[in-house]
Amino acid sequence: MKEYIAIVLLLLFSQAVQSQQKGTVLIKNGTVLTITKGTMEATDVLIKDGVISKIGKGLSTPKGAQTIDATGMYVMPGIIDAHSHIALDAVNEATSPVTAEVWTGDAINPLDVSIYRALAGGVTISHALHGSANAIGGQSETIKHRYGTVDPDALRMKEAPRTIKFALGENPTRVHGGGNGIVPRTRMGVEAVFRSSFSEARQYMKAWDEYNAGKSKKGYKGTAPQYDLRLETLADILKGDIIVHCHSYRADEIYMLMQVCKDFGIKKLVFQHVNEGFKVAPELAEFGAMASVFSDWWAYKFEVYYSTAYNATILHKNGVVTSINSDSGELIRHLYHEAAKTQKYGGLSDNDALSMITINPAKQLGIESRVGSIEEGKDGDIAIFKNHPLSIYTIPMMTIVDGVVEFDRENDPDDMRIYVDPKETIDVTLHGTGHAGDRCMQDAEFLFHE
Amino acid sequence: MTGSKLVFMRRALLLLFPALSYLTSLGQSSELAPVTRTYAIKNARIVQAPGRIIDNGVLVIKNGIITAVGKNIEIPAEARIIKADTMYVYAGFIDGLSHTGVPKPKEEENKVKDPGNPPNDIAGIEPQRDVRNMLDPNDKSVDEMRRLGFAVSHVVPHGRMLPGQGAIILHAGESPDAMVYKQQASLFSQLTGAPGIYPNTVIGVMAKYRELYRQAEQAKAYKARYIQDATGMERPSSDRVLEAFYPVIDKQIPVVFKAEDVLSIQRVIDLKSQLGFNLMLAEIKQGWDISEKLKNSGAKLFLSLDLPEMKEEKSMPDTTKTTDKNVELKADKDPEKQRLQARKDETIKKHYQQPALLQSQGVEFGFSTFEAKPRDIKGNLSKLIENGLSEDAALSALTTTPARLLGLSSTMGTLDIGKIANLVITDKSYFDKESKVKYVFVDGKIFEYKDEPVPKKNGETVRVTGKWTYNTETPQGVHTGDIVINGEEGDYSGTISSTISGDTNDLSNISVDGDQLSFSFTVVIEGNAVLVEVIVTVEEGSFEGTMTAGDYGSYPIEGERSPEK
Repeated sequence: MKEYIAIVLLLLFSQAVQSQQKGTVLIKNGTVLTITKGTMEATDVLIKDGVISKIGKGLSTPKGAQTIDATGMYVMPGIIDAHSHIALDAVNEATSPVTAEVWTGDAINPLDVSIYRALAGGVTISHALHGSANAIGGQSETIKHRYGTVDPDALRMKEAPRTIKFALGENPTRVHGGGNGIVPRTRMGVEAVFRSSFSEARQYMKAWDEYNAGKSKKGYKGTAPQYDLRLETLADILKGDIIVHCHSYRADEIYMLMQVCKDFGIKKLVFQHVNEGFKVAPELAEFGAMASVFSDWWAYKFEVYYSTAYNATILHKNGVVTSINSDSGELIRHLYHEAAKTQKYGGLSDNDALSMITINPAKQLGIESRVGSIEEGKDGDIAIFKNHPLSIYTIPMMTIVDGVVEFDRENDPDDMRIYVDPKETIDVTLHGTGHAGDRCMQDAEFLFHE
Repeated sequence: MTGSKLVFMRRALLLLFPALSYLTSLGQSSELAPVTRTYAIKNARIVQAPGRIIDNGVLVIKNGIITAVGKNIEIPAEARIIKADTMYVYAGFIDGLSHTGVPKPKEEENKVKDPGNPPNDIAGIEPQRDVRNMLDPNDKSVDEMRRLGFAVSHVVPHGRMLPGQGAIILHAGESPDAMVYKQQASLFSQLTGAPGIYPNTVIGVMAKYRELYRQAEQAKAYKARYIQDATGMERPSSDRVLEAFYPVIDKQIPVVFKAEDVLSIQRVIDLKSQLGFNLMLAEIKQGWDISEKLKNSGAKLFLSLDLPEMKEEKSMPDTTKTTDKNVELKADKDPEKQRLQARKDETIKKHYQQPALLQSQGVEFGFSTFEAKPRDIKGNLSKLIENGLSEDAALSALTTTPARLLGLSSTMGTLDIGKIANLVITDKSYFDKESKVKYVFVDGKIFEYKDEPVPKKNGETVRVTGKWTYNTETPQGVHTGDIVINGEEGDYSGTISSTISGDTNDLSNISVDGDQLSFSFTVVIEGNAVLVEVIVTVEEGSFEGTMTAGDYGSYPIEGERSPEK
């Protein structure tokens, strides 16, 4: 027994010291759901050094490569969650209505066992979002689920564009108006926060432009504006360098933010939750805004009462790029079920339903050229299922990131924690996770006064 | 006599007899010290540096300096002779980072109007503060560290993100200035947010750190331009916070960052590589998987001597007090529980093997005692050696390496002629579990240790009855209040009050085991009753431990006994 433990530990730790790996693997004879190029029966997928190099029949195994027999199984692109808070040591810097300068990438926790649980549900990428306590929250990080490393940097998806979290409605008004008695107290206040922040960022950019234009002149006496990381970040949003992901529920506030973005020339906009998105679906499509929704979760606070499980289908049929997300360390393990609900509520095709957890979230994160479908040249991120992934009988069998097998149902040790707390009390009972695992308001609870 | 009167009397005595109070504060010698400043240590095993040993040697100290060391040394007539037969002499140890001699200030309640824009001092941004203004030569931590053989500490102020500037101090001297060997030795930083105000979380702290650093670079460059050609230019405003970064930007002093866990360490290395300051990493606890990264970072490293408790291998079955022995035994047979326990033990072992591992990988390090309890330090050093660190390597990490890392090699770290007389003399090899420290010299001043602090007898319980004040820091801010415990063993009762809520709650399940006090009470949070459990270690009129409030998390709690009326 002791020896067995030692071996497992050795394996774990030898893994822990390796950072970003790229694997070579041949997945043979599966039903390949490419998402963008149709479905291919009895087809092989070859991943070489982390990249899909060939899709076809009867491919030969390169030397030293692992072979996976996927006969009778379904091979799909790794699932992508556009709204998650797993693998983060901090979610909200809830002390100010505007904290554009903070970045969840600073708080990545590669040791979080939730990553492994997500892998067990076929999820290879998640969007580690800042929470929704502030009108303008923090910049967020797109992470690849490369589990088994202690290096936060190994999880960061370097090719992913910058994103930032905004929030509308009751969260910022409760935290700042209710909690601290400052703006915003109302939805009007939230809009005012956006407008004044962007106006200030414009002035800041102008002042820098003037300084930069003048400073090379001989005998220039001007002063640069004081460096301000918050305004730098807001300026980058105005320049189009950052995709805005906005927590939202009500149609009126969704429409409001689109107006604000039009006024300030901001085009890259994705709404999160968007429970009343179905009411303004044509307007969203016209703007080019996208939507990332829950399949069927609502009524957990007042502004989320007017909802429907048909939301994803209606948005999709109106031409809005729509994804289905988890916002939870528990839901993330069965996003394939969440996607399947669009077939009961709206009758989406298999491919459209699977798009909601693959290529569409990839578009929302600006990484669709790398992931989200099985195509030659894309990253080797694959999920293999027994039974069709949209069937209620489906079982995730294997999850591959960059050609490295990160989850294998046949070889799934009990304790997959990378580090254990030396002070922990060994307690084999389960602890409740509180609010169904929802961490949207983590680090902000102290601002709710009765 | 009431407590306040006593204090007043003591103060008066201190004023009247400063010299006498100095002696009594050392508390180990009732006889008056001789008037000489010359000492000769005879017939000792002198470990000049790791691997350089003189058997039956003599070491002479004059006016605070080592003037002779070797075999056939003439002993000056005026020397006080220390007969050190069979004793070991080492260079005084150097502590890489701590609060030694820096009393912890009382936490004040701060109400901030706009938590997004708090004043710098409340936000924990005070890099302009100098630890010299906070030193207390009579703080008990100085004697506690000296007793262990530490002659020198790199000390920093208490605080959060940017508490202030550190100094190198000697553990001797009657005034703060007399203790200071090197002022403004470092800029102390931590990834610690402020409760309930900006920057509150690690992401806030890191963003703020980057911003301050770049603002400082900008302000410094502008000032340089202004000095060149001021006419017609806007006057640069003075900003003590930004100015505190100038010597860091000029690479004159390092930033010393306290970073314990594997993730914090890497976050700090990120900051260093983005901003480019010279870095000292101290209080490292989990570096075993990132040795390459540590080496490549170019940071100067200090490993923590605060280690998780390692259960001694017992041949006897554990007879801990349990409410239900059968349940306990059944659970221990549970294979899952055994596997979890094995992993936990393995992790604890990794902490103890870390110095040996880093040593074998050619990573240089000293030690820091920031969070270590003085009474654990010596035993922990022995355990590090049991876990593969050689005695020479341990001695290097206590003497020569920290001397080099802190820039003190010309005067400290070895027993060579011309060095400051910092020595520790033990009856056996220091790293022997049974060894006792007999003498410590700091700056040529002798400290003799005859009586060991008496260890608590097994099974003897501490007295917990009476009134205590406590404070604990939760995300809502700092809670303070009183804890009152009445009754006797087996039948305690008590209350706890909170200045934040204004409530007083009854304590339940009060139990005392040795020096451990535990109790619980119920509070109402957001309409739910939450059981708060407190476990603290009581030591000489103060306690520290943890308070766990259900799903709301665990927070450190500390307190001290209120003076008896």
